[in-house]
Amino acid sequence: MLVKRKSGQAGRSRLQSAVAGLASATLDRRSFLKRSGLAVGGLAAAGTLGAGTVRKAAAGPMMEGVEVDIRKNICTHCSVGCTVTAEVQNGVWTGQEPSWNSPINRGTHCAKGASVRELVHGDRRLKYPMKRQNGEWVRISWDDAFSEIGQKLVELRENSGADSVYWLGSAKFSNEGSYLCRKLAAFWGTNSVDHQARICHSTTVAGVANTWGYGAMTNSYNDIRNSKTVIFMGSNAAEAHPVSLQHILSGKEQQQANVFVFDPRFTRTAAHATEYVRMRSGTDIAVIWGIMHHIFANGWEDQDFIDARVFGMDEVRAECEKWTPERVENVTGIPGEQLRRVAETFATQKPATFIWCMGGTQHTVGTANVRAYCNLLLATGNVGKAGTGANIFRGHCNVQGATDLGLDISNLPLYYGLTEGGWRHWSRVWEVDYDYFVSRFDEVPAKAGREARTREQNMQTPGIPSTRWFDATLLDAEEVDQRDNLKAMIVLGHGGNTVPRQPEVKAGLEALELLVVVDPHPTSFASLHARPDGTYLLPAATQFECNGSRTCSNRSIQWYEKIVDPIFESATDYWIMYRLAQELGFAEEMFKNIEMVEGKFGPEPSAESLLREINRGGWSTGYCGQSPERLKAHMANQDKFDLVTLRAPADAPDVGGDFYGLPWPCWGTPEVRHPGTHILYNSEVHVMDGGGNFRPRFGLERDGVTLLAEGTSSVGAELDDGYPEFTMAVLRELGWDGDLTAEELSQIERQGGDDVDAVSWSTDLSGGIQRVVMEHGCVPFGNGKARAVAWNLPDPVPQHREPIYTPRPDLVAEFPTRDDAREFRVPNIGHTVQQAAIDKGIPESFPIVLTSGRLVEYEGGGEETRSNRWLAELQQDMFVEINPADAAERGITDGGWVWVTGPENDSRARVKALVTERVGKGAAFMPFHFAGWYQGESQRGNYPEGTDPIVLGEMVNQITTYGYDPVTGMHEGKATLCQIEAA
Amino acid sequence: MARMKFLCDADRCIECNACVTACKNEHEVPWGINRRRVVTINDGLPGERSVSMACMHCTDAPCASVCPVDCFYTTADAVVLHSKDLCIGCGYCFYACPFGAPQYPKVGNFGSRGKMDKCTYCAGGPEADMTMAEYEKYGANRLAEGKLPLCAEMCSTKALLAGDGEIIAEIYRERVTTRGYGSGAWGWQTAYQETINV
Amino acid sequence: MTNREEQKGLRRRGFLGMFAGATAATATAAVVGAGAVNEAQAQETEDEMRKARYQETDHVKAFYRTNRY
Repeated sequence: MLVKRKSGQAGRSRLQSAVAGLASATLDRRSFLKRSGLAVGGLAAAGTLGAGTVRKAAAGPMMEGVEVDIRKNICTHCSVGCTVTAEVQNGVWTGQEPSWNSPINRGTHCAKGASVRELVHGDRRLKYPMKRQNGEWVRISWDDAFSEIGQKLVELRENSGADSVYWLGSAKFSNEGSYLCRKLAAFWGTNSVDHQARICHSTTVAGVANTWGYGAMTNSYNDIRNSKTVIFMGSNAAEAHPVSLQHILSGKEQQQANVFVFDPRFTRTAAHATEYVRMRSGTDIAVIWGIMHHIFANGWEDQDFIDARVFGMDEVRAECEKWTPERVENVTGIPGEQLRRVAETFATQKPATFIWCMGGTQHTVGTANVRAYCNLLLATGNVGKAGTGANIFRGHCNVQGATDLGLDISNLPLYYGLTEGGWRHWSRVWEVDYDYFVSRFDEVPAKAGREARTREQNMQTPGIPSTRWFDATLLDAEEVDQRDNLKAMIVLGHGGNTVPRQPEVKAGLEALELLVVVDPHPTSFASLHARPDGTYLLPAATQFECNGSRTCSNRSIQWYEKIVDPIFESATDYWIMYRLAQELGFAEEMFKNIEMVEGKFGPEPSAESLLREINRGGWSTGYCGQSPERLKAHMANQDKFDLVTLRAPADAPDVGGDFYGLPWPCWGTPEVRHPGTHILYNSEVHVMDGGGNFRPRFGLERDGVTLLAEGTSSVGAELDDGYPEFTMAVLRELGWDGDLTAEELSQIERQGGDDVDAVSWSTDLSGGIQRVVMEHGCVPFGNGKARAVAWNLPDPVPQHREPIYTPRPDLVAEFPTRDDAREFRVPNIGHTVQQAAIDKGIPESFPIVLTSGRLVEYEGGGEETRSNRWLAELQQDMFVEINPADAAERGITDGGWVWVTGPENDSRARVKALVTERVGKGAAFMPFHFAGWYQGESQRGNYPEGTDPIVLGEMVNQITTYGYDPVTGMHEGKATLCQIEAA
Repeated sequence: MARMKFLCDADRCIECNACVTACKNEHEVPWGINRRRVVTINDGLPGERSVSMACMHCTDAPCASVCPVDCFYTTADAVVLHSKDLCIGCGYCFYACPFGAPQYPKVGNFGSRGKMDKCTYCAGGPEADMTMAEYEKYGANRLAEGKLPLCAEMCSTKALLAGDGEIIAEIYRERVTTRGYGSGAWGWQTAYQETINV
Repeated sequence: MTNREEQKGLRRRGFLGMFAGATAATATAAVVGAGAVNEAQAQETEDEMRKARYQETDHVKAFYRTNRY
């Protein structure tokens, strides 16, 4: 194997000199790794395959003479939403073809998308349910698994309460699966239900929603084709969202656009920018205020836009004045002249868009970062038009949908709050008594001087974020603000290696009484520890093995067909959750309005019927108009949608006038035929053409200043000034209630009871209010101002605060992290940790700033992609990128083994060094997709035989450290300190 | 008669490796054999560029001229194919190829490397088109199906072009004209003894 | 149902086993064997081998179209 690899290597270096014309060209990440040889578990023999031939004939892309079925699904990796066209023969997925008609990917894929067929070959998949018994993995039946798990859950509920069980769901679920998981937690009686949005864009959702209404990407990947200026900040889309670059690069070429990449690392995206700006990790707010300093100083702001549509910009302006170029350079490392150039370009060469990802969000100041970005857009009038906007690239294939469907500790589906009103809304939709849910929640006793909570109060209290579950397991029970500690994790489709402080995660796992992993792969939840008993692995099918809908980053919802039946003994999420509900005794109530269909192992809820239930309750976010029929028509008519506007011509059958995927909000019932909203808050078009404006959701005035828009409303609105959200009272005031049909009115009166006036656009189950309001050209949620200042959040005007582990202790006095506080049922002692780090001289002993990120060939925790042989071959080793100067000081050679150590838990990881200028001096980068090694030791033996990923490696999150955003519990994944030494 | 070519627009290539895994997927290419690869120069430095490379299906292919058993042949579309039945695994073609395209399942001395494998332009080999026999040895024959190499068809940013040399040259020319820059048609001078003038 | 699925699974796994290492030696043998069989199968004539296969189908046109602006 080793020798054989050499032939490839020789070819490679030849190739390199051929293209470069240089024998000494810098080696890239892959040649470096190949040169470093192969230490690939389990595949050593595979390379000897195929002596002269490609492969043995079996289920190959062509079975001669066998009929080919074409099925369309959606890639299950990132949020771009690429259509996957599968060829199926005899029930086997035998080929993958380009999907030319998809306006999103137009035939293309990245390395991950082009290899998804391998996922249902599944040689490394979990094949049947298993449990750990006396330290051994043993095969069990599904029925036994459910009954044992069910019994244990009931026992835990009795002894420690409903909150002792954590439901960790998935951004890989369909919308219907996400919804089901949230509903399951509601019936179980806990708000500790979460998914990957916590660790990728929770701070985005909070920051953006608190600025202008909804926490989502405002425009679309396609729309960036219109942008004249693009800023990427903490986003490496070339690796994380490769197909988005098709639109961005094409747009850049056609518009001669300016593309700026702000990042501590010269990324693959930076390589295609017009200008790269290197910044220090964790200084985003200082950077943005530095840009806005130049904008305000030169009068480049869009004052008309600010006057009509923004509240509180003067306070931001005052803050920006303090951020002089010298001060900014001192904090961020960016020269003033460079920022001035960015500022002028962004403010004057419009439309301009701002793109961010986890480089911005995964910080103790994540929510504040996001609000600073929004402020830059608001100050320059770059929101609500083509080519502008906050283009937030979400991570996983359905992280937007799972967020929307409330797989979250602090809200119910479609952003209905945990308030009584929110619960009553969903109780009404589900036709289940509100009091039933109250009865399911724990009473919380008074602890450590904190007040007790009634069941109803507990039902309205956010749960524990996924970043802190192990704290709730390990902390003293008095410190955990619920009935008892966390005792069980039910993990459905979620990696375990994606949160910091892994040594403590390991301890947390060991302390649990029950651990259930529902996943196509074991994940690090199964391999990090050696729990002798009480661990179950249940094989879930991928989304290629079931149907449903998923929401891309741009809010387009795509319906996908099952390509093949679940392989081996895998089962769909729908069936698994149905069976769990059965075992827990509430299936009948939970599925009372859901149509059941015959699945692989018996009856399971139909995705169509689940979506219809979502439609019936999805008014607040406009998830009400996207019926399964409409979404299916979109998939069948992909070729009708324009590449740039995403709109179908008015005369196209079935989809005429619609935007592709009916991007939410898609108001009213499906019969209203709202086209969906391509660009949020776009007042240049009629609401029935996808128009809108900022959402007033923070009251009508503040400090005597109106929070409604001034002198402006969307095209065609009969109210030509700001207006509040629509309730029956407002409708009556305007005399528009007469437009309601008798049926609509009767529904409103029935649900309104003695307060019909309070029934609103977001609670009216008839959809009548939305329909009537739109007939008058108005937006159901009202017409308000965006908020430059979010007075309800910590740091209403975002403040720069140094990372907890900062290389600049001299700045901590002026920019300390926030004070210790209790958040989400556990303490957040960031301030104490920051002080202790300085007292202990951590910045001297751990002088290198460590950041983390994605590689193109892997995704998330990486178990699935590292199990895919076509991807695994491309990236066989975990590594750390280190600057040549730092490497030279430490005697580290390119390709050599090094120990990376972190300031907490005596953490250390043995990885290979990639010596490169990609990172600046004093900075290092590690990818976060690796697991299966722990402090220098392989844990391959902890996986059930045959399910270990091909490639294993050390977790970066062994090294990453304490730090949590106060608004969402987001972890600090991008700015910590480490030391590196040759191993 | 259309002349098949590959063209990688290095200003579009983001080194996503879709071309590599698409190839693996389409032909079930085993671990260790890489018919297509992405090469990055100036990695991590300003000026970093990536190019997707495979057999370029050269005019007057040097591999064919050194092959002692004459296993190569060029189709009327100018696709360079070879017969694995004739190949003796000597490795001469590997040394002759300016792009390092030929791959061998084993490393060894003369004759013990196993049959050479390389990009077929998704056009199979000497067995009858679109048969299992052809697939086993050479992979899919997309060209005969009225399609193009899957690597190019699936390229994330539309960087890798394949098809009629004149049409793809025209597409590339249009890009260079529109955007005002272009790193040139990588490898064309070597493979086709020509370049694209804009 | 379950039983049938299991068989399907096993068959697929049996096939994939050849990639998994333990059976690689046999798999290689099988592949070599298959190659030998193939030599007896239909070979194209010289003319057939060299004939043009490229056609400007709708599929190919879609590729060109999506590569243009």
